[in-house]
Amino acid sequence: MRNYQLGRALAHGAVVSALAVSLMTTSVLGQSVDISKWSPEYVRSIAGTEEFDTAEACGSVTPLDYEGKLTFWYQGVFEGDPDLLRQYYKDFFETFRATYPNIELEEQALTYNDLLDKFRTALLGNAGPMMVRLQILGGVEFASKGYLQELSPEDVGWKTEDFWPGAMKSVMWEGKAYGIPTNNETMAFIWNADIFERAGLDPEKPPATWDDVVAYSKQIHDNLGIAGYGLVARKNAGNTPYRFMPQLWGYGGGVFDEARENPSYQAIELNSPESKRALQASYDMYVRDQSVPVSALTNQQADNQPLFLAGQVAMMISHPSDYNVMLDLQAKATGGDAEKAQAVIDNMRYGQIPTGPDGRRAVVFGGSNIHILNPEYVDGGEVDEQAAKAMVCFWTSPEWSLKMAYAGSNPGNLNGFKTKWMKERLETIKFLDVTTSMLPYGVPFPALPETPEIMNIIIPDMLQNALTGAMTVDEAAEDAAEKVRNVTSGEGL
Amino acid sequence: MTSISNNQAPRSRRRIDGWRWTGRIFLVLMLMYTALPMIWMLLTSIKSGFAAMQFPPQWWPSEPTLASYQKLLDPQNSVGQDFLRFFWNSLFVSVCTTVLAVFVAVPAAYAFSRFTFPGRQFLFFAVLLRNMFPAVIFLVPLFILMRVLGLVNTHGSLILTYLTFGLPLAIWLLKGFYDNIPIQLEQAARIDGATRFQAFLLIVMPLSVPGIIATAIYSFIGAWNEYIYAATFITKNEQLTLPVGIQRFFSENTTDFPGLMAASFMMSVPVVVLFLLLQRYFVRALTEGAVKH
Repeated sequence: MRNYQLGRALAHGAVVSALAVSLMTTSVLGQSVDISKWSPEYVRSIAGTEEFDTAEACGSVTPLDYEGKLTFWYQGVFEGDPDLLRQYYKDFFETFRATYPNIELEEQALTYNDLLDKFRTALLGNAGPMMVRLQILGGVEFASKGYLQELSPEDVGWKTEDFWPGAMKSVMWEGKAYGIPTNNETMAFIWNADIFERAGLDPEKPPATWDDVVAYSKQIHDNLGIAGYGLVARKNAGNTPYRFMPQLWGYGGGVFDEARENPSYQAIELNSPESKRALQASYDMYVRDQSVPVSALTNQQADNQPLFLAGQVAMMISHPSDYNVMLDLQAKATGGDAEKAQAVIDNMRYGQIPTGPDGRRAVVFGGSNIHILNPEYVDGGEVDEQAAKAMVCFWTSPEWSLKMAYAGSNPGNLNGFKTKWMKERLETIKFLDVTTSMLPYGVPFPALPETPEIMNIIIPDMLQNALTGAMTVDEAAEDAAEKVRNVTSGEGL
Repeated sequence: MTSISNNQAPRSRRRIDGWRWTGRIFLVLMLMYTALPMIWMLLTSIKSGFAAMQFPPQWWPSEPTLASYQKLLDPQNSVGQDFLRFFWNSLFVSVCTTVLAVFVAVPAAYAFSRFTFPGRQFLFFAVLLRNMFPAVIFLVPLFILMRVLGLVNTHGSLILTYLTFGLPLAIWLLKGFYDNIPIQLEQAARIDGATRFQAFLLIVMPLSVPGIIATAIYSFIGAWNEYIYAATFITKNEQLTLPVGIQRFFSENTTDFPGLMAASFMMSVPVVVLFLLLQRYFVRALTEGAVKH
C-alpha cells in the first residue's frame, strides 16, 4: 500500500483549489475555518496534542446522574464493516451507558439505504425516535418540514467554529441550525497498480483528469478485457451521487452553482455544456467503449468493491474504509487465499480524485449529522431533551466523533484531530494522508430540502437515461434539469 | 404377423425413448435452475470473505470454513445472539399466523361451500378485494392503523397484517376443497345422529386434511419470507424477523457475502424441509379443486 506522490499533487492542486478553498473558508454562520491549512502535515502536527474528558464535558450539559429515557436511530455499522469500527460502536454505547447509568437507551441501527425511507414512514405515523443520526443529505429536508428541533453545537457545550463550515451548512435551514455534524469525509481515488502495469500504464501514476479516466479505462479494457473504471449508476442509492458529482463538478458543471463561492442554488446548471460533457464521459465509458462493469446501472459501491478486490475493476472512487475492509479480509483468509489477499493489498494505490479539463478538482463533502425530533413526531409524543443532549454531546465530542469515524471518515468535531487516537490512526491507516488532502476540494451538497430527491433520484435517472440509450446525452441532461426545476418549484417529479 | 410385430416394436420404443429423454433433459434443466442457486449459496457460505469475492470464482472453496455458521449459531457473540433471536421471532410470527389462518379459514371456507346466505357471493369475492391491490400501497395506511392500535414494534402487527394477505387465498383454496367433498357423507352422518358440528369435525375435517396442510404451508411460507411490512412495522432490534435481520450483512460500502449466504441458507432450511415433508398434500390440495367429481 503506497500513496501517490502527495506533495506534488498538493502543489499542483493548490492553485486550482483556490476556488474550492474559498468556498470552504467563507464565513458560514459567521465563523471562519481555514481549510486550506488542513494539509496532511498540519493534521499530523496537531494530532495527539490535546486531551479531552468527554464525561466531564457532557456532564456539564446533562448531569451524569440524570434519569431519563431515550430512543435513537442511526446508520449503523454491520458485519461487512471493518472489525475495528464495529468495536468502537460497541464501546461507544457501553461507555455511554456506563457514564449515564440512569438513562434508559433504546438504540436502533439501520442500514444506509433503508434509513431515510424508514425514517420518513415513521414520521408519517408520528412514530419516530427521539433522536436520529442521518446522512448529510437528510438534515435540511426534515428541518424544512418541521420534524426537527433547533440544535446547534452550543446547545451541547461545543462551539460552531469547531465544525466544518460545509458540514454546518447541511444542517442549516432559514438561518437556524437543526443538527450537529458527527463525521465528515472526502473520498479519494483508488487503483490497482498491477492492472495498470499489465495494461501498459504507469502503475504509480493515476489518471490526472477525467478525460484520462475515460482513456485509461478503455486501454485497460482493450488490453486485458476487464473493467477499467468502477462506474456506479444505481437508482435511489447514496453511492451514485458520491461518485458522479465529483466528475460533474470537475468538468465545471453542477446541479446548481453549488461548487462556486457563495452558491445561491437559483440557476439550474444540469443542462449546461459542462454538465453534458461530464455525462458524455460516462456515456463514452459505458456505451461507446464498454470499459466499465456492465452491471454499473444496478451497482453500488458494495458491488464494485468485490470486483476491485478480485482484480476485475482497475480504478474507482473509494471510501477510505476500503483499505481496512481489505485488511480484515486478509486477516481472516487462510492458506493460499491469504497470500492472494496480501497481493491485492500490495497493489492498492490511493491518490487524489482526477480534475476536469481546466484543472478543477472536486469531491463530495460527505458525512452524517445528529438531530433531535420535535415531540409530536415521536412515538409516545415526548422527547427527553436532557437525555437527547447527553447523547448528542457524547457522539459529537472530540473523542467519540473521532473514534466513530476511525476507519472511514473524519471527526465532525475538529478537536477530534487533536486527540491521541488521531495520532494512532495516522500511524495505522496510511492512506489517511490522501483523503485529508482532498478536504480542500470538498463541495457540500446543495442545502435544499429537495436535495435527497435530486441526488438519489434525478441524478441516477439522468445517468440511466443516457447510458441505456433511452435518451441522448443532451436529452437526458435537459430532462434532468426540467425535473430539478419541477421539484424545486413544488410540482414534484 | 410375427415379423411385422417385431419390426414395429423397436420403432415404437425409439419414439417413446425420445420423448422420455426430452422430458428428462427438461427436468434436469429445471432441477439445475432451482437447485444451483441453493448449491451456490451453500458453497459461498463456507468460503472466507476474500475467497467469496474472487473472479473467476472458486467453484469449490480452496480453504473451506464453517466460520460463518459458527458465528451465526454461537449465542455468546452478538451476531449469533441477534441471528438466533431473529430466527425465533420469525418462527413465532409464522407459526402464529399459520395457526390463526387455519383457524379462521377452515370454518369460513366451509360456510362459503355449504351454506346459502344473503350476500354470500358478494362476501366471497370481497375477501379477494384485498389481494387485488399491490401490497405496498397499504404500507403507510396499515402502519398508521397499527400505530393507533398501539401495535407498532409488536409481532401482533405482523401477524394481523399477514393474515389479511393470506386469508383470502386460504379461504378460496379450502372452499374448492370442500366443494369436492360429497355432501352426502355429511348427510349420512346427520342421519346417524351426528350434529352439524360433529359431521364437520369428524367427517369433513379428516377428509380436508390435505387442503388444511396446503393452507398452512402457504401461510407459513408467506409469513416466513415477508420483508417490507416487517421492515416498516418493527424498528426494535429485539423484535426483528429474519428477512429484515439479515440485512445486517449489507453495509454502505461492503457486503459480508459468506455471512449473508450462511444466514440465507439457514433461513431457507425450515421452508424447504416443511415443503419436502408435506409437498404431496400441497400438490393434491392445489389440484383437488380443479376437477369436479
